[in-house]
Amino acid sequence: MRVLLAAATCVVLASCAHAAATAPAPSPAANGLVGYVRMDDLVKKHPLYDQLAQYDTNIEALDLTAFAPHALAAGPELAREEAALNAQLDAAAKRTNDLLNAKGRDFQAREDAAIAAALRSAALPDGPSVAQVRAQLEATASGQTADVNAQAQRDLDAYRKQLEAQDVAQIDAAQRVLAARADRTYRARAEELTAKEAAYSLTLANADAAQRLTLRTRLTSLALDDDQRDEANKALAALDQKEADQLAAMRNTDQQTLAALKQQLRDQIAVDMRAEVGPIRQRSVQRFGERERELHDQFAAHGAPVTGGGPPLLASNPNLPPDLRKRILALHADYLAAFHADAKSTIDDFTKTRADLAHRYAVLTGTDQSATQSAQAEIVSLQKKRADLYAEMVAQIGREVKTIAQQRGISVVVSDVAAPAGGVDLTDDAMKDIETLHE
Amino acid sequence: MITTRFPLRFIALGAVAVSLLAVPAALADDLTDIGYVDQSQLSSLPAFVAADRQLQTYGTNLQRDYIGRARGASQAQQQQLAQQFQAQIADKQREVLGPLFHKAQVAIASVASSKNLSIVIDKRIIIYGGQDITGSVRDLLTGIGDPVPPVNTPPPSTIGYVDQAQIDALPAVRSAADDFGKFKADEDRQTAAKLRGAKTDSDRNAILKDYQTQLQTKQTATIKPLLDKTKNAMADVAHKRNLVLVVDRSNVIYGGTDITADVTAELK
Repeated sequence: MRVLLAAATCVVLASCAHAAATAPAPSPAANGLVGYVRMDDLVKKHPLYDQLAQYDTNIEALDLTAFAPHALAAGPELAREEAALNAQLDAAAKRTNDLLNAKGRDFQAREDAAIAAALRSAALPDGPSVAQVRAQLEATASGQTADVNAQAQRDLDAYRKQLEAQDVAQIDAAQRVLAARADRTYRARAEELTAKEAAYSLTLANADAAQRLTLRTRLTSLALDDDQRDEANKALAALDQKEADQLAAMRNTDQQTLAALKQQLRDQIAVDMRAEVGPIRQRSVQRFGERERELHDQFAAHGAPVTGGGPPLLASNPNLPPDLRKRILALHADYLAAFHADAKSTIDDFTKTRADLAHRYAVLTGTDQSATQSAQAEIVSLQKKRADLYAEMVAQIGREVKTIAQQRGISVVVSDVAAPAGGVDLTDDAMKDIETLHE
Repeated sequence: MITTRFPLRFIALGAVAVSLLAVPAALADDLTDIGYVDQSQLSSLPAFVAADRQLQTYGTNLQRDYIGRARGASQAQQQQLAQQFQAQIADKQREVLGPLFHKAQVAIASVASSKNLSIVIDKRIIIYGGQDITGSVRDLLTGIGDPVPPVNTPPPSTIGYVDQAQIDALPAVRSAADDFGKFKADEDRQTAAKLRGAKTDSDRNAILKDYQTQLQTKQTATIKPLLDKTKNAMADVAHKRNLVLVVDRSNVIYGGTDITADVTAELK
């Protein structure tokens, strides 16, 4: 908002000028000489321009990776993945449900047939016994259970693959987040050191500015003999060398600091990754185990028909032998209960899995958002450092330009000129002085 | 009554510089009809700070309100809401800052007139020289009563200005800018994807360098010819009208010679 205010101040105040600016031809006599410089060109020649460009590059990189349109698409991508996974789970749930329904219908028909056979055996001496009827029912049920188990195994395999894919996605995401965090830490430290180097460089230059200015004024303004000129040049070179040596020593120390930090960050990433990967794998193994046990309990334990039309037949045949009635009723009750429990637990399991996956993807998305916020804070910090450095560079350039302007009798010097006309261009002179600043 | 404060301190500093460098030409300092104002100093005046705070509170509340309304809205609705938000903020800015800006404009015009300045520009583009009228303007703004507008219009100025927004609105310039904008958006997407796959610092730097080169090349091909043409047109007009320099309108606070119409006519 403060920036908005400042910008608005500039624009609105600027706009006030122009209503009254309908004037006749200007009188050049009203002005002294007016000069200008191309500040962008001068900044590029400044000894600290590399640091400034590095800030720009880092800001650009963060801006591109954190806020580019495709990066923002990470959310929708995750949502799409989640939707696809949910669709798969829905399909698996429906398939299991359909299978159980089919099994129910099939068992009803078989149970009806078995009871009819039991009734016939009770009336005819050479008919099948109850034990035979039961054996037939169990044989049929066993075949059907094998079908259901095969389908369940296929679902389990698909589920395992889904879990593996999720693990890979989560581990990749964790790795990216950790690497990005380490990268930011490293860059922040590197920028801090670079800023200190820049500040130190400026301090050195400013400390020697008076001596340098005196030497350069002597060289440009006074008639010197060869020895005196040589001496002044040597003194200038010695100043430059002294500053360069001091700065180089500082840079060497900083490079060592950065190398140590890089190793430390690598080690930390390895530790953090182990901490991240372990629970992810463990969670998946645990969930797979639970699912496997549930399927095993659902299908392997029930080796008999699920349901049938027993009760209506019993109701319409009140004279059946008590043992047969009891057996039919027991079979019916057991498998009906197992059927309902099986269907319900299967659907509940898939619903639970779906909810859990949605939650895990939400966590992933949340991780991305926090990374983006962190990048934004980093950009603001870099922009501030960049602005400070730029201001220092422009101030130093300003001092050089002022000297030149005074020497050439220029009254006013401006920068950011849209187009030159009769103004004096001081850029080249200033450039020469700036280039000699840190030779 | 308008009070003015001539920058004696500035002359004193100038005199020191003269004695040190023994260059009499430096005495020309402060003798031009070019003035400047440090707008950041003016924006730190209590009235502006209070307005800033008022706008901040308004903006925060409005933002909260719009975020609530945008939740669950379609993309088109969100875009519409964003436009409404910007419009409301702009209205509030006009309402809160408008009277302050008007007062500041009058104060600047009054001081400039009393010093017979032909132009007042933003301090940001002044490297050396010129008359700093910030103190005088601040005194007027914080004094009792409102500043009185000057009777005279500014004298003719040898500094011209152009409204870059009008130049940018010319069909050829707009088309080139759109073309470059699309190219940059594509490059941004591609570069972001590459950066995500970068394994080392040198990979990353190479990708960014390539990105910058691509943009530079495109800019040279599409924008630079138009910039050169515009610059030449400005220089031509400036010569015809005996101007020494042309600056952007956003840097001019008072006075100056507007050559925007002449430049756009020459570019058409």
